[in-house]
Amino acid sequence: MFIHIFKYRFKSLIRNKSMIFWTMIFPLLLATFFSLAFSGLNEHERFKTINIGIINDVNYQSDIAFQELIQSLSQEKEPMFAAFLMNESEAKEKLVSNTIDGFINVGSPMILTVHQSGFNQSVIKLFLDQYSQTYSAIINIIEDDMTLVHGLVTSLEEGTVYTKAFQLSKANPDNTLMYFYALIAMSCLYGSFFGLREVIDIQADQSPHAARVNLSPVHKLKAFIYSGTSSVLIHTAELMVLLVYLHFGLGIDFGHQYGFVVFTTFLGSVVGITMGAFIGVAVKGGEGIKSAICIGVSMLGSFLGGMMYGDMKYIIDQNVPIVGKLNPINVLADAFYALYYYDDYERYSINVVNLIVFIFIFSIITYRIIRREKYASI
Amino acid sequence: MIVHVENLVKRYGELTAVDHLSMDVRQGEIFGLLGPNGSGKTTAINCILSLLKYDKGIIEIFDKPMTPYAYDIKKDIGIVMQNVAVFEELTVYENIDYFCGLYIKDKVQKEAYVKEAIDFVGLGDFIKFYPKKLSGGLLRRLNIACGIAHKPKLIILDEPTVAVDPQSRNKILEGIVALNRQGATIIYTSHYMEEVEQICSRIMILDKGRIIAEGTKEELKNMISLSEKISVEVFGLSEAHVKEIGLLPNITSVTYQNHTLDIKSHKGKNNLENVLDYIRKNGINFGTIYSEKPTLNDVFLEITGKELRD
Repeated sequence: MFIHIFKYRFKSLIRNKSMIFWTMIFPLLLATFFSLAFSGLNEHERFKTINIGIINDVNYQSDIAFQELIQSLSQEKEPMFAAFLMNESEAKEKLVSNTIDGFINVGSPMILTVHQSGFNQSVIKLFLDQYSQTYSAIINIIEDDMTLVHGLVTSLEEGTVYTKAFQLSKANPDNTLMYFYALIAMSCLYGSFFGLREVIDIQADQSPHAARVNLSPVHKLKAFIYSGTSSVLIHTAELMVLLVYLHFGLGIDFGHQYGFVVFTTFLGSVVGITMGAFIGVAVKGGEGIKSAICIGVSMLGSFLGGMMYGDMKYIIDQNVPIVGKLNPINVLADAFYALYYYDDYERYSINVVNLIVFIFIFSIITYRIIRREKYASI
Repeated sequence: MIVHVENLVKRYGELTAVDHLSMDVRQGEIFGLLGPNGSGKTTAINCILSLLKYDKGIIEIFDKPMTPYAYDIKKDIGIVMQNVAVFEELTVYENIDYFCGLYIKDKVQKEAYVKEAIDFVGLGDFIKFYPKKLSGGLLRRLNIACGIAHKPKLIILDEPTVAVDPQSRNKILEGIVALNRQGATIIYTSHYMEEVEQICSRIMILDKGRIIAEGTKEELKNMISLSEKISVEVFGLSEAHVKEIGLLPNITSVTYQNHTLDIKSHKGKNNLENVLDYIRKNGINFGTIYSEKPTLNDVFLEITGKELRD
């Protein structure tokens, strides 16, 4: 009986074009749209080499130390500065045309000329300040006691580090990932359409064919579970297609814990399907109203989970954390986030437990209503 | 007894949809439940099938109490709903196979039954069609095939011919009679009196959830005083003539409209002859003339004071 019901349920669902569009094609389109919209965002935030002009005069030619320092900073793989030697009138021209962010007149003191203030100009200023201070400190020390020269040179060569950097994760920070994680979570909740369909097709007061199934000699809950299995299979497969497209098509990084990513997606699918079933049995009214509620819950959850406005998730987590915990989309997105950023599983485990609680609550309520075999009205 | 219902009561708040309904359906008969829309036919059927909660009453099918868990009873029941109960995404064949498969586990037997059902309703040319591609009549036939493919002993058809073209309607009615001849007991609900009169061996008339009459069609017609209806095409009939015709023996009412004289009479011999004699004696010109026996609508009209199709 399982194979019979499962087979026809599978055929019936897979041929439902509207359902397949919303649960698979729409998330793929939205992901593509996100990818296009975010393509320049990380590029914008990445540090870029600062173009500076250096007035090629006698002072510069005589300051060997500064020449070597500038040269070394310009030769790294991603250099801090790209220095160009030029005369002053040429420098002014390039400054006005924004070809360079500032130009330096080497001397004592160093003179930095900028056309506007900004991040790059501040970096050049800080660099010059630090250079000037170190330079004058060395001169002062040498003038006071020549014997300290050796120790000073050794100290500068060793380059003592006073601040230790602790890297929380091996993952690269990427502000756009949360949007894609929220998108996957939203797609998981779109499984509610499958759950709703299952209820409509098993509750005799919601469709005539459900009434016919109820009159057959098959246990109603068994029929519901057999048929629900095909919903879970189809929706999970759809989500796998989305994951594959995101990863291989759009280059979205999920970290290195693929097994857990797949497991989380599966849990998300079950949360979505059970939520739809819960809405199907708990809400009075026609299929249209119930579908609208499924869409509304998914959209609101996506908004609060940061899919439309990235900072929203942070705002909710800071001000009303309970809303974040009650929002399956937020919990799911956070689980993906935890898998990507953290090397330990503490935060991820909390999210997984939260998801299981959702599934449990939705399933229990659905079960209690569906197990009723007689209806007050049809 | 195939179906035994005793004092069934179903209320929706203040409204009593089924009011102390008792009925017995015997093996091999086509039992008709006739009544206008809202008379409680479908509600009664849903209660009998244990789909609906009811306030009071005893329901037994195949001499066993009917409950939602009575799978041994359910396996021998076929139901054809008022609304078409099929899956839009499955083809004609798949729909019949799906519903038949809920009853029949043996694959070979199921296949044979499905083919038989398809032939029975004449959908052989449409097995790969999806329901939305079928006409109303063909869709109704599919609905029937889904309900009867597993060869049930009891078939309940709830208004199966609503919105069906005359050709499909005849096909459906012939099919029901054929199913009955093959051994199935049938409960047939309808508000079309002609259908019930045509195929049912016993009829129960419901109004406002209550039984107002029960019996064979002859028994039902014998319950009322009306025996004959006579219609005569007459030109230029005076009011005095109409009054005098109304005074003839057994005549209960006379109306004259649009050159048609409609006469209703009690049981009695020579009613038509008396009317014709009067017309001839008074030199009244007449055209076509015909008489008809009372219908179930007349039965309903006489008992309730309103038309069956109100």
